[in-house]
Amino acid sequence: MAMPLQEMVTSPDTDPIETPDAKQVAGRSPTQIALERLRHDKVAVVSAAIVVLFVALAILAPVITSLVGVELNAGDPSEDTDAFNFPVIGPPDNGFTWEAPLGLEPGTGDDLLAEWLYGARTSLEVASISTLLSTIIGVALGLVAGFSRGWLDRVISFVIDVFLSFPFLLGALAMAPILLNRFGGDPEALDKAQFFGIIFILTFFSWMGLARLIRGEVLSLREREFVQAARVIGVPTRTVLFKELLPNLIAPIVVSISLSVPAFVTAEAGLAYLGIGLTGRPSWGQTINQASGYFDEYALYLWAPVIGIMLLVIALNLLGDSVRDAFDPKTRR
Amino acid sequence: MSEHVQTSNGHTPLLEVTDLVKHFPVKSTGVVRRTIGQVQALDGVSFTLEKGQALGLVGESGCGKTTTGRVITRLYDPTSGSMKFEGTEIGQLSGRQMMPYRREIQLIFQDPYSSLNPRHTVGKIVGTPLEVHNIVPKKQMIPKVQELLEVVGLNPEHYNRYPSEFSGGQRQRIGIARALALRPKLIVADEPVSALDVSIQAQVINLLQDLQREFGIAFLFIAHDLAIVRHFCPEVAVMYLGKIVEIGSRDQIYNTPHHPYTQALLSASPDVKQAAIGGRRERIRLEGDVPSPINPPSGCRFRTRCWKAQDVCAEKEPPLYEVGGRNVACHFAEPLQVVQVPVVSEGATAVSPT
Repeated sequence: MAMPLQEMVTSPDTDPIETPDAKQVAGRSPTQIALERLRHDKVAVVSAAIVVLFVALAILAPVITSLVGVELNAGDPSEDTDAFNFPVIGPPDNGFTWEAPLGLEPGTGDDLLAEWLYGARTSLEVASISTLLSTIIGVALGLVAGFSRGWLDRVISFVIDVFLSFPFLLGALAMAPILLNRFGGDPEALDKAQFFGIIFILTFFSWMGLARLIRGEVLSLREREFVQAARVIGVPTRTVLFKELLPNLIAPIVVSISLSVPAFVTAEAGLAYLGIGLTGRPSWGQTINQASGYFDEYALYLWAPVIGIMLLVIALNLLGDSVRDAFDPKTRR
Repeated sequence: MSEHVQTSNGHTPLLEVTDLVKHFPVKSTGVVRRTIGQVQALDGVSFTLEKGQALGLVGESGCGKTTTGRVITRLYDPTSGSMKFEGTEIGQLSGRQMMPYRREIQLIFQDPYSSLNPRHTVGKIVGTPLEVHNIVPKKQMIPKVQELLEVVGLNPEHYNRYPSEFSGGQRQRIGIARALALRPKLIVADEPVSALDVSIQAQVINLLQDLQREFGIAFLFIAHDLAIVRHFCPEVAVMYLGKIVEIGSRDQIYNTPHHPYTQALLSASPDVKQAAIGGRRERIRLEGDVPSPINPPSGCRFRTRCWKAQDVCAEKEPPLYEVGGRNVACHFAEPLQVVQVPVVSEGATAVSPT
């Protein structure tokens, strides 16, 4: 049983006879119950382990590369590739070598393990920042719309509808040339602009679902009597929103987060594959795009990023499913 | 004699409600939302409540009992009319001006399953009013909460449990502890026991009665269970379609009801004593449905279902007449025994009622 230790310590009850009873008395919040269930779910534990592994790989990318002795963008086409642009060491023509565990990139001779690790980093960075931003926007607007009702609700709902009807791919396609024109001269500025541009565009087109969900939940919660009890007591509206309503919205928010991270990983890779994502730093989608031409001769080049994306997205999705089950009171065991 | 007549004598009652009106606009759907009607939930409700007294508000579903409670606690803003709490008009106060009165007027809710936040511990729920109004310093919060839990008969060690771990009766006690936390002078109890088991109802009612005696709290007791109101409230008001039709002392209302609606209401509630001796009771059968509060009948609102209705009932709305010690809004108010009422005995239910 999950025991909030702190509360036991602060308990004024000092009678030693009473203490064992008091221990049993500590209650568990719905969130604690959900986490408990998650711990007993094998799929969730395995998926979480995979996700943690990917996060660790991404965070430790510089450490791992230096340990293995590879470097990002260190290839020299004249030295590392032969006359057919294929790498002179490692696959596909030669055996495995620790000098390049995943081989070298044809044409440039850049190390692919370094590219893969930094690609994971890019992917998770973009996905997590976009998730964070879209969750904050979605929750804030959903709360305000649902709680205020009236004209503010109608305005926000209209904005949500407008954004939902706006085509995501077109927006992304339009952004690439704009950024290229604006920052084309300076590669560092372009990379930064692309990085924040992609986060912006992913956030811009993804907060609406959560906002709608939260609005609907708030519409039903605000009529519950505990909200009216808070108002009778005189709890300020802001406190009602964040202390009374928000804790009841944890389940949909957590589920939305756990399902939008893999969606963003896929979207980032997809945009990079189309050439309208990141170009200035390694990205799985970009590698897949380049590798697709070499699949016959050099399959590993393509497999590495594809398996990376696949594993990460499947793990995140399964974890998301488990989280949703754990938070769903109807599956309470 | 009921105390609500004393208001003219110069002393200030705890709560004085005069001509309280609450209309809910009915909006059309579409882009331009015009108001196409008004639900007249409350239409001119007046009563007074003395310190430490209990006034029962009875009536069938949809008659405006709950709306009255919610207007008094300012969950709804009144459309018009006045509500004076210890002489201060509270009907039009802004949120901030209302704060000191929030301490004095508390609400106990009907449904103990939705009136407690499932994500907060009992300690947090009962402690919230103390925190919002800065009643006790943070350090003394837990002892104070435990004291309140003890007052309502719960184990004070349960303060860090969640509402889902309690039964309905225990949850209602938590709700009562929350209402008590601010030591209010007036508690509006909105059907506090109707969601509970019959065996638990008595416990909760007795608890409320003990608290009333101990702390001198005035109760506005809203219920549709006539027996419970009779047990709890020395004064009773009967509502029909947004209006008080009869208001008087417990004995006046229950023993000699004067308004036809009160008579019908009382005849519809089962009587254990009579059932025990196997006696047949004569029931008054009202015909038809309650009219829509959007478009209530002219004159007396009860006239569409009343067996005494005459032309005058449609033309003139009856004010509260003082008849036989109580106030009753009927042109033909009189005790039931005197009048020939078309009653149907219970054995004759198989026969067509008309």
